[in-house]
Amino acid sequence: MSDQLDSLWADFATAHNEEDGYLLATTISPEPPKHDPARLYNWQRWTNAYSVQTDLRYKLQYNPVLKLDKQEASTWLEVFTAHYAFTGKLLAAEEAQNAGKSREADWSAVYEAWKEVLNALHRGYSRTDFAAWTIPCLYVVGKYLRVFAIKADANAASQRDSSVAFGELQEEEDPYGAASKNEKLEDAARQINRIFALCLSDRSETVLSRKWALYYTANLLFKTYFKLTSISLSKNILRSLAAAGTDIPPISQFPKAHQVTFKYYSGVLSFLEEDYAAAEGHLTEAYALCLSSAQRNIELVLMYLVPTMMLTRHRLPSRQMLSQSPVLEGLFLPITTAIRAADLHAFNAALEKEEEEFVKRRIYLTLERGRDIILRNLFRKVFLAGGFEAPKDGEPGPGARRTRIPVKEFAAALQMAGAEVGDGEGGVDVDEVECLIANSIYKNFMKGYIARDRGIVVLGKTNTFPGTGI
Amino acid sequence: MQTAPAYTAVAARHTLQRPDPTPASAKPQKVSWSPDVRLYVQRAFEPDNAIPGIDLPMMQEKLKVVITQAAETGQLGGIDWSTYPLPQDLIKAERDQAAIYGVQNAILANINAPVRLPNEAAYPPGSATKKRKNGDVDMSDLEPREITPPWKKKDTKGALEDRITGKNKNKSKKEKKAEASRAYDLGASAEVLERRRQRFGFMTPEPSPFLSSRDDSPEAVPTGPLVGTCQKLEKSYFRLTAPPAPDTVRPLPVLEKALHHIRSKWRKEHNYNYACDQLKSLRQDLTVQHVQNELTVKVYEAHARIALEMKDLGEYNQCQTQLRALYKSNLGGQPEEFTAYRILYIIYTCNRADMNNVLADLTTADKQMPGVQHALKVRSALASGNYHKFFRLYNDTPFMGGYLLDMIIQRERIAAMASICRAYKPDVSLHFLAQELAFNDNASDDASDQDAGPRQCLDFLCQHGGEPFVERKDGGDVRFATGKAVALFEGAKAAAFRGIDIKGQI
Repeated sequence: MSDQLDSLWADFATAHNEEDGYLLATTISPEPPKHDPARLYNWQRWTNAYSVQTDLRYKLQYNPVLKLDKQEASTWLEVFTAHYAFTGKLLAAEEAQNAGKSREADWSAVYEAWKEVLNALHRGYSRTDFAAWTIPCLYVVGKYLRVFAIKADANAASQRDSSVAFGELQEEEDPYGAASKNEKLEDAARQINRIFALCLSDRSETVLSRKWALYYTANLLFKTYFKLTSISLSKNILRSLAAAGTDIPPISQFPKAHQVTFKYYSGVLSFLEEDYAAAEGHLTEAYALCLSSAQRNIELVLMYLVPTMMLTRHRLPSRQMLSQSPVLEGLFLPITTAIRAADLHAFNAALEKEEEEFVKRRIYLTLERGRDIILRNLFRKVFLAGGFEAPKDGEPGPGARRTRIPVKEFAAALQMAGAEVGDGEGGVDVDEVECLIANSIYKNFMKGYIARDRGIVVLGKTNTFPGTGI
Repeated sequence: MQTAPAYTAVAARHTLQRPDPTPASAKPQKVSWSPDVRLYVQRAFEPDNAIPGIDLPMMQEKLKVVITQAAETGQLGGIDWSTYPLPQDLIKAERDQAAIYGVQNAILANINAPVRLPNEAAYPPGSATKKRKNGDVDMSDLEPREITPPWKKKDTKGALEDRITGKNKNKSKKEKKAEASRAYDLGASAEVLERRRQRFGFMTPEPSPFLSSRDDSPEAVPTGPLVGTCQKLEKSYFRLTAPPAPDTVRPLPVLEKALHHIRSKWRKEHNYNYACDQLKSLRQDLTVQHVQNELTVKVYEAHARIALEMKDLGEYNQCQTQLRALYKSNLGGQPEEFTAYRILYIIYTCNRADMNNVLADLTTADKQMPGVQHALKVRSALASGNYHKFFRLYNDTPFMGGYLLDMIIQRERIAAMASICRAYKPDVSLHFLAQELAFNDNASDDASDQDAGPRQCLDFLCQHGGEPFVERKDGGDVRFATGKAVALFEGAKAAAFRGIDIKGQI
């Protein structure tokens, strides 16, 4: 029987001999590798709970191929023992799931068992039994911890609901019971935080350090916190990383995958804090690093980058950029078209149509600022439509554009665009128009001033609409 | 957990009442009953032995507890059942002690302040009304399991307000559903109780939850929440440091009358200190009795309105938080009005995160309500800097939103002035300013006083150092030199938006 498990041990040995962390990680992964799909089952059947320790010890310590020192071997023993127990639970849960009895699948137990694996690994690292090249194991353990936590929470939630339907005693009555519907995920967050602390506190030199797992772990934490909507906790992570300063190698030396995710989350966090300049920086970098084939990632990054750019640079995404993803097109194309055409009506309609999605992503309020751009474009059109004045004597070419524009012209334009400038009696509320113009001037979209008594707007001669070349 | 840790074996020493054999952590076990025990049970059920005021279900539960504990500790054979006090006697003795004996198991922080007790999951809101049947003292032993340690609060994620209100409002609804077929497991609660007590290391003589459901409804309510007996209409507010004695707590009917009384007094005298004090005490009485019904909503709404009128934002925010949770339980009241207030309040506190959350929570139905629409328009106008629209909306605020807007109008006026100064050159008429900044409409009732608005506007301008820029032209026209006042109002605006203070009361 142990022959069937040979591939596991072969991989383990190879990994150790070649210091291939990723290969090592596959040995403890909950998902069997492609070349050995029956691994988990074999693993389970290879021994039983009674003799698992002895069997493992034989394999780990007395294995001629494997050269582990005693301490390390015993730590791996712990890990694999825990992993064994875990596999049992996992297989049971998966079977229940496959058999259609998903409610009986005890993902909670799976989660707890996986946590034990994590604990064993954690001990290994804090006792510095494991070398730094093994840290992909941490990646695996953290990643699946989240996965199982989410599954366990989902399961618990569905169980709660079903028990209500049957009138059973509620879990929630028990004050010692499940504290919240994200109990496992919260617990997972704490565990991953432990790993984070573990990595951060590694004092060994950079090459051998566990610090290389930092950004991956940070990303896991971000994902978890976002799911738990305790976004403020994410700031702590950023702060710790910032505080570590020069102890950590610069982010550019980490794997690209880590970088992209990290920059994405930093960007979103800055965005939510309304630090749009920083958000622009982070998200642009993330976008640049993103693989063009990673469509979902691109969607996510652009989802926040587009509103940010709109705000900071008053720039809209090109059709080409949006065409990378149908989701993005659906969300942003109507808005950008409306803005370009300075069509307020269309803009409002577009905003309303996808309002729910925007609000969910918290970009609604930012997109609203698109209105400012529309107004600017509108006023610009009025300016351009104003034509040219006669050239001054002696000056060649067409004259300057007309800079003294009656407020009424702006009012007309606004009315046509669908702005709400009516005074309730069919006319135009001139004060409202003036207010909108004043705002444009105040926000530096337009240069000039209003001469109220004469009912005109005097625009600047040069660079009248900053940023547009007019 | 079956083992009874050593330190709980010590019998209670705080009362004169004969303690139970052990405060055991018990789950009912299958035990064979000796004839003595059976005789005891028989005696308990005999009508002759019944004590008035203690009805059958109660006695039964008590009996169950007694026997279970005895079984747990293996004392079934040890106790002399023939002389052991009957369940009814135990109940009666307990009650007598209730008045004297302050149960020390409360997590005090949970009872302080009119904050809803989190996690009193064990009973439905309606039970309080049922308790009206018995006027005499119900158990004083506030079911400990209702009071959880703060760290055990269920939903600690999310906004602070969620933490304060506690998430179990929805639970109580589910409770009602579950009651019908729920077989209440007494033993479990005793066990849970036991564990909690162990954590705090104190003992009570009666480990059992006091079953006080006098009604025969299938809801086996595991606990008897406090029902007050005080009949006083007026009561001052005192922060609780221990579970209150029932004779200081007013029952529901009295509370209803009290609310009415407070309201009429407010209308007559407008004494905020008095009203606030009374309302807080009302809220407290509602909270300790775990009452969550239309009356609760009315009380919080009343207090919120009064606080708003008096610009007490701290109290207002407390009430608003509670109301948000109460509205989720569909208890009626005026959700439209208060949703509108909420939006305006968030505008005032410049809390973008909350605004996002509120917008996400709004349903389509909510957005149809005119009050809410108005608030949303205000938000939209302010977000785009459209001060003109804002001031028009200000004049038309429904309900009492005007009070909230009054608080932001000062800084919005400054912001508007900043815009105006930048955009208008060389100057504008005072009249125009007065109109734009809505100085006319909150002028005095004296319609003939045309200059009230402009005069107030002038005051406002001078308040912010605009005096040097006011120019009185011939012909009575007063103008304000906007071109020169740019820097002034820019600075004022920056200062105005820097910090929002709700006087420390989150």
